[in-house]
Order: sequence, then structure tokens, then C-alpha cells
Amino acid sequence: MTAFVLALVVGALFALGTFLLLRRDLIRVVWGLAIVSQAANVYLLAMGGIVEGGFETVPVLAGHGEGAPQTADPLVQALVLTAIVIGFGMTAFALVLSYRVYEEHDTLDASELGDRG
Amino acid sequence: MSPELSIVLLAVVLPFAAAGATPLLFRALGERTGYVGAAVAAACFGLLATQYGSEGAVELSWIPSLEVALRFYVDGWALLFALLASGIGTLIFAYSAAYMHGESSLSRYYAALLAFMGSILGVALAADLIAIFLFWELTSLCSFVLIGYHTDDEESAYAARMAMFVTVGGGLFLLVGFLLLSLAAGDAVGPAAAFDLAAMLEEPDAVATALRDRGLFVPALGLIAVGAAAKSAQVPLHFWLPNAMAAPTPVSAFLHSATMVKVGVYLVGRVRPLFAGPEWLVLFATLGLATMTVCAILAVASTDIKELLAYSTASHLGLMIAGFGFTSVLGAETGVFHLLNHALFKAALFLVAGIVAHETGTRRLAELSGLRRDLPVTALVAAVVGLSMAGIPPFSGFYSKELLFEAAVEAGHTYDIGALEWLYPAVAVFGSVFTVLYSLRFLALFVGERPTALGDVHRPAVLLVLPPAVLAALTAVVSVDPELAVRAIVQSGVDATAVETHEMHVSLPTELSPAVAMSAVTIGLGLLAYPFYDRLHRGIRAVLAAVPPIGANWWYDATVAALAGGGARLGDRVHNGLLRTYATWTLAATSLLALSGFAATGTPLPLEVGLEAPIAVALVLVVAVVAGLAVVTAPSHVAGVLTLSILGFMIAIFYILASAPDLALTQLVVETLVLVIFLLVIEEIPRYYEVDLGRVVRDAALSTLVGATAFVTVLVTTDARPDGTTAIARYYAEQAVPEGGGTNIVNVILVDFRGFDTLGELVVVATAAVSIITLIVMRPDRTNTADDATDSAETRGETE
Repeated sequence: MTAFVLALVVGALFALGTFLLLRRDLIRVVWGLAIVSQAANVYLLAMGGIVEGGFETVPVLAGHGEGAPQTADPLVQALVLTAIVIGFGMTAFALVLSYRVYEEHDTLDASELGDRG
Repeated sequence: MSPELSIVLLAVVLPFAAAGATPLLFRALGERTGYVGAAVAAACFGLLATQYGSEGAVELSWIPSLEVALRFYVDGWALLFALLASGIGTLIFAYSAAYMHGESSLSRYYAALLAFMGSILGVALAADLIAIFLFWELTSLCSFVLIGYHTDDEESAYAARMAMFVTVGGGLFLLVGFLLLSLAAGDAVGPAAAFDLAAMLEEPDAVATALRDRGLFVPALGLIAVGAAAKSAQVPLHFWLPNAMAAPTPVSAFLHSATMVKVGVYLVGRVRPLFAGPEWLVLFATLGLATMTVCAILAVASTDIKELLAYSTASHLGLMIAGFGFTSVLGAETGVFHLLNHALFKAALFLVAGIVAHETGTRRLAELSGLRRDLPVTALVAAVVGLSMAGIPPFSGFYSKELLFEAAVEAGHTYDIGALEWLYPAVAVFGSVFTVLYSLRFLALFVGERPTALGDVHRPAVLLVLPPAVLAALTAVVSVDPELAVRAIVQSGVDATAVETHEMHVSLPTELSPAVAMSAVTIGLGLLAYPFYDRLHRGIRAVLAAVPPIGANWWYDATVAALAGGGARLGDRVHNGLLRTYATWTLAATSLLALSGFAATGTPLPLEVGLEAPIAVALVLVVAVVAGLAVVTAPSHVAGVLTLSILGFMIAIFYILASAPDLALTQLVVETLVLVIFLLVIEEIPRYYEVDLGRVVRDAALSTLVGATAFVTVLVTTDARPDGTTAIARYYAEQAVPEGGGTNIVNVILVDFRGFDTLGELVVVATAAVSIITLIVMRPDRTNTADDATDSAETRGETE
């Protein structure tokens, strides 16, 4: 079963993120990074199969000692949870780095920064 | 009798252990560390001597899953080489203790010399292709350190780099050759023994056939030949050896004449049973004879004692290679016997050269003569080993050279090689004439009138004279009774390298044969031409000076300059400092590789359109994409940050709808935090940054490519998903309560089943936090100018 809608969305987000990555404004580059990591998370989750939300499908068991029901794939959720947190660390770091670059060089223009060697 | 693993292993490991302990030893013993080195070398010699007469393989498991083991193979050929290395090593360490007196960084010197000896014993005894390669490269590394011993001398550094470039580069050819060989050996002797040289040597014909079946015979032979030729200084890769003479003389005697440069010859002898055939004959006989002749001519053109000996070494290595090149058993006899003879006489000659340079202060041939009165014992030693080098009967070099002539004459008997049948003996004689010439020139150091310009010549210390005297005595023994050497070790070496077995006999000739006539012609022409030595010397030098591209040095310099220049230009182009350039290349390459991967494996693009996502999910995601578009077109930073947040919150809603409440919670927290941080930061930077849309078409094209790749990847991979829940997901669901004691499966996975991964994640976040604090708080010292100081104070205030 293919996930056509999800594929379209992930593709579109990747394209938008890439476009931002190529901007000269460093803040926009950070946005690009953020969008690409969001898209990657959606892709990861899609690999486990999207199950519409409901009491039965959430990967939380009803109680101790009962049998395991069919739930949404918990493994990809664990992976994505890690990825969200790491993505947050990366975005915050990239942002503060850009801020510091601006303080040092008085510009956020990546081309201008590159020319300075 | 089969060898003892513990003894062989100890002999290889001991020098490395001693090398590791050298800094401590040196602190305790100072310059007497040389004696410890001599003791270690003597211990290795003793250990290996106990294995005398044994034959067979022993192994220590190393990487069992890859069938790589530390295998050792002991036979006559390995023992000959290992005993030579450790025996001469003993003498070299003793000599070093006297010769290197008063030099600096001796700790490094002895450590490298010991490590080198361990590596050379490793090459000699290892029976595993990977282990041989590792030890082989280790010898190159040690040689690099020792050639560059005088670190502040530009010439030493140049020579060390050159030796490294040629020998390690050659080693890479060897590695590929070994891998090809192991492919074929996997077919012939089974995959378990794919790297086991000992197993291959048991069935040489099967391996050769397997190589030919795969069409790898000539490539493997060629690659191994390049590796061996680089190491053993064969034309046209001979040029590094004379330059390597920048090393201290004991190093030249040990590495660059007696052992390391012979590793190539040793390997050629080792694999000879696998490859012997017409290709082998033409390749190695031609290579060896060319080297022998060219380097002998260059030796005549030398002006420095060590340079002369270096070219002579390359020339004699050519003789050994040529010997092994001739496929008859005479060829193996030449190679093995000359390896022994050359190691004995050439090491002694280098040590003599060291004494001369040490006591007179010069190495220039033109400034030295008549030294026999000042250095009588040294002169006697030089006479024995010098005449052996020249191949004058009855000295040891004569016997092995005679064997070469016999092998050259018989070269055409086994295979039809056309005109080469005549050319080989002729070239052998021609090259040997020059050998006689430069040997006589070396001996001329000790005869004739003593030049008045030569100052006081000191008597050398006993420890300087003793090692060459021992080697000369051994040369004399081989000269008087060559059969003794043959019985002792040469015969077993020949058995290991020859294709068929043959009882070897060496003696002075009693009747006229083609080889005897060739020897007579060689010596006669050499003696006749000697009076014209100076004219020859000047003539060869004039030709070399007139046409620089004749010299291999010129090619080396040109190649290195071209590589360095090309590398710098390429670096400037690829590494231009612009973020967008890197992003473009990385993203485009990744996309194209992924797409071509799909194309190459013929992955069908799933055409049935499944909607999978419910309407609500689709709607939320569409809003997210629209928010993304708004981010791209946002006119100001604030607008961009806010729309980016919309995107993030939409993704959070998507997580809720997709049965992932934990993700939604995390996403909401993270999005809120990101929004706050963004707003804090953009307060400090210009609100409005001009959106430069230059090159927008190219960027849009690349974005479309990346997006399309992501689209195709998601389609293809979700299509290939296994149906239902995977085994691993089921396992976690079932074991969450019994094993982890929690009902929230995702949480149990994170904190329990994969707790260490989460710890790693925490480390990443903590690292990011520490870096952020560092970036914000730490300031460079800018108190020099008042303006800057107030600036930074202001920003600090604002940040707080």
C-alpha cells in the first residue's frame, strides 16, 4: 500500500526546505534545516504505517497483565521522538551560531561571509 | 619438524615491545640503549635459530569472521630472510651505539629501528596476505621516520617524503594484487583459506589455474610486481633509494641495503611458485636486468660514497629479481644465493663507508684515496667485501653472478622468447662490466696516494670496525666454502622458491662453459675499461645533466608538483567557502545517487495510487505545506518564524491524528521552545533582510530534484513495507509490561529497551546546550578599543 499523499507532502517539504537551504540569509538556511527535519520525521512515521488515531490504536496498553493489542507501530514512534529532540538541539544550535556570526561580522549574508575566507 | 607458534610469535613481538619501552629505557640507560637493541636482535636471532630446519604453518586466530588470522609460515626462505634481518640487526645496533654517539633524539631512532626489525621479521614469517601487507607498510613507515631522522634538514624531509610516496604507493598496488590473488585462491583452496599464502603454496598449480580462469593472472602479477618493484627500487622506481641515503649510515646499511629493500625480492621469491610461466619470465627478467644495468651505470656516475653504494644496491636487487625471473631452478638459486651474499657484503660496505665518513669527515669520492695506512683493518674488510661485490673469483659474489649467467643462457630453453634469448645474456654481461668498474672505484679509496687536503684521520672505535669485520668474515667463509652456505640454508631457500626440486652445487669452474666465458669477458672488460673510469664518469654525468627527463628524479618532481598544484586548484574550486556550493553538490549528488540506485536495481514505480491517509490527515498536511510556502516567501524574519511555527504545529496535529500522542506532546513543546528562541534571536538581528532571488531558477530546479527524489523514495519504500506489524514491533508491544513494567510502549522503548540510545540523545542535547551557552557567553578579549568594549557590554546586557 503506497502512501501517495504522504509522499507528495514529504516531497514538497523537502523541495521547500532545499530552496531555503540555498538562500544567502543564514536565518533562512536555519529554517530550511528545520523544515527538512520535519519532513524526514513524517517520512519515518509513514514507514510504520499511518493508523488513524483512536483509543485502540495508540501504542499505550490498557493496563498491566493484558494481552498486547494491534496498535500503531511503536518502534517508528520511538525513533521519531528521538529525532524530534535531536532536531530541536540542531535548530537551536544553528540559530545561535547564526546570531553569533552576525555579532562578529555584522552580516548574515552567507556569500559575503564565504568571501571573507 | 613443524615450528612452534610461541617462539615465532615471540620473535616478532619482542622488537615491537622493546620499541614501545624505548623511551623508558633511554631515560634509564641513555646512549647504551643501543646495546639493549643489539640484545633484542640477538634474542630474536636465537629464537629463530631454534626453528632451524622446521617447516610448516602455525596460526593465531585474529578476525575469524573474515578468515583473517595471524598465520606464520616457516621454511628455508623465510628463515633465511628472518635470520639475516635479526643477525645483521644485532651488528647494526652495536655499530649504532658507537656511530650515533652524541646525536640527539636517539630515543626515536632506536624505537623506529626496533619497530622496523619487528616489521621485517613479520613480513618474512607471515603467511597471511593481510598480515604481510600490514607488516610491509609498517616497514615503509619506519623507513620514513628513519630517513627523516634529521627533522630540521630540508633534504632529509624531501627524501623521506619521496621514499614514503614511492614505497607506500607501491604497497597499495600490492594490496589490490593480493585481493585479486585471494579471489582466485578462494576458488582454488577454499574460501576459508582465501588469504592463506601457506595453503596457496601447497597447491600452486591450482591457484595459477584459478587465476587464469578468472582472467586475473596478468593483472594480479602486474600489481604485485609494481609493489615489489617500488619497494626493491627497480627501474623506473629506483630513484628513491639514492635519496634515502639522507638517513644515518647504520640505517642505510640495515634498511636500504640488507633488509627492507630486499622485501620486494623476498616477496617475488615467495610467490614465484604461483606465477612462474612465460609472462613471469619476460616481466621479471627484463625488469631485473634493466635495473641491474641502468643502476650500475648510474653508480659509475656517482660522486658520493653512499650514493655509489645506493645505486649499486639497486643494481644488485635487479640481479636478484632477474634471477627469480628466470623460471629454471638456476634462477631460484641465483636469487636466493645472491640475496644472502649481497646482504653480507653490502651491509659491510655501508658500514665501511660510515667509518670512512665518520673518521675523515667527507663522503666525496674525489677527496678520498690512500686510506689503507690510516684505516688498515677497514681496508682489509673493504677488500674482501668489495671484491665479492665485483664478482671476482673466488669471492662469494662470483658464484651467484655465475649462476645468473647460466640462468640467462638457459632462459630460452623452457619458453620461446625470440630475440630475448640472446639479449638477456648480453645485457647481463654489459651491466656486470659496470659493476666491476664501480667496485674497483670503491676499493680505490684505500689505495694510491693520500691527498694532502685530507686532514687527520682518527682510528675508528672497535665497535665501529667489529660489525663489518664479522660480515666480511662471513663473506670470506662463503667465498672459501660456498657448499657450506648451500647446505646450511641456501638449499632450503631454493626448495621453497623453485618450482621443481634440484640439488644445488656451487664451486669454482673447472672447465669452459658459456657462463665461465661470460664471467671472463665481464672481468676482462672491466679491468680494461677501468683506466678510462674518469672519462666514463664525466660522460654519463654530462648526458644526465644535458637531458634532465632521463633522470627519474625529474619525473618525480614533475609529478609531485603537478599533483600539488592540481590539488590546490581543485581545493579552491570545490572548497570556495560558499555554503550554497556545498549544499548544492551534496544534495544534488545524494539525489542522483539515490535515483540511479533505484534505476540500477530496476525498482518499479508503484502506480496504483493508495490514499492511505484519511481526509483529516491530508488536510492538516496540506496546511503544513502551505505554511512551508509561506516560510519561503516570507518578506521579514518575524513572518517567517511565525509561519514556520504554523508548519510545526500542523505536524503536531498530524501526529495526534496518526495515533502518536507522545510525538505530538514532544513536538508541541519543541515547537514552542523553537518559537521562543527564534523570537529572542531575531530581536537582535535586522528585522528585514533583503530577499535576494538571484539564481532562483537554478535553486528551484535543484529543489525540485530533491523533492522529486524524496517523493519517489517515499513511494517506493512505503510500497515495500511488510504487511501488518513487524516482528520487532510486536516484540516490543508484548514485552513492554513483562520486561519494562510500563504500559506506554514508546516510553518503555526509549527509557528501557533502548536506554543507552536515549542516553546518547541526551548527550547530544547537552552538547548543543553547552555549545549555545559558550557561543552566547564567551567573548573574545576585545578591550583594546573603547568602542568595541562598549559594544560587547551592550550586547551582553541585551542578551540578559
